Amino acid sequence: MTIDATMVGRSYAAAESYQVGREKIREFADAIGDRNPAYRGDDAIAPPTFAFMVGSRALEELLNDEELGLRLDRIVHGAQKFSYTRPIKAGDEIAATATITTVRKAGPVEVIMYETTLTTVDGEPIATATSTLSHNRADA
Amino acid sequence: MIEVGTELPPLTVTLRREDLVRYAGASGDFNPIHWNDRMAVALGLPGVIAHGMLTMASAARVVTDWLDDPADLVEYGVRFTKPVVVPDDDKGASVTFSAKVDKVADGLAEIDITAVAGEEKVLGRARAVVRVR
Repeated sequence: MTIDATMVGRSYAAAESYQVGREKIREFADAIGDRNPAYRGDDAIAPPTFAFMVGSRALEELLNDEELGLRLDRIVHGAQKFSYTRPIKAGDEIAATATITTVRKAGPVEVIMYETTLTTVDGEPIATATSTLSHNRADA
Repeated sequence: MIEVGTELPPLTVTLRREDLVRYAGASGDFNPIHWNDRMAVALGLPGVIAHGMLTMASAARVVTDWLDDPADLVEYGVRFTKPVVVPDDDKGASVTFSAKVDKVADGLAEIDITAVAGEEKVLGRARAVVRVR
């Protein structure tokens, strides 16, 4: 199967919630070379793009949908946007759901947009991520 | 006073292979194009490239370093227009980020971010919206 516009609206929830730990925030901040004190300690908030990692648990489910026929090694990340209700912080337990919003085809290339909502497990909104991927079905 | 045209302090980040490996580990993104030349070249790339999300994270620092509180970032988006090729040497790749306030209204400032590696812009339409007090 291949992805097409009839698949817009399909939604994929991460299999498990993501529990945010202050040491994971520190590790992530270190990995992006960001020494901002806001990202350290018991009251740490996470750097803005940490949201992508949390949302990638839902993306995994989307990629696992065999009907879409997507392969990670054929995907290029084209664009990324975040809207924040509030920052992610240590202690959050986050539910992520990714929904396909657009599918466009140009020859072997499929441009897929999906929106990932991040909320606490109690439903409090945290952030929304909008991602654009290009998937190339042509044989290299 | 934040007004249209205010320039934020620029930032230059050097990305070496080690940084890509560290980001792969911290983020869980182990796509081989970010650590394996053979796989990168097989997919038509000039060589190993930085994770787009690492470039995006670095670009955000121009804005969050300037804010008193990074929690004041309310919106942030980029397009990944050119890959940042990271050679397997000690020098790595340098990316310079600059930013300028484009609009101030209703307690929010819109900031345009520019990211240049070598001579090329590696991000397009990079824009942050922040709360201003």
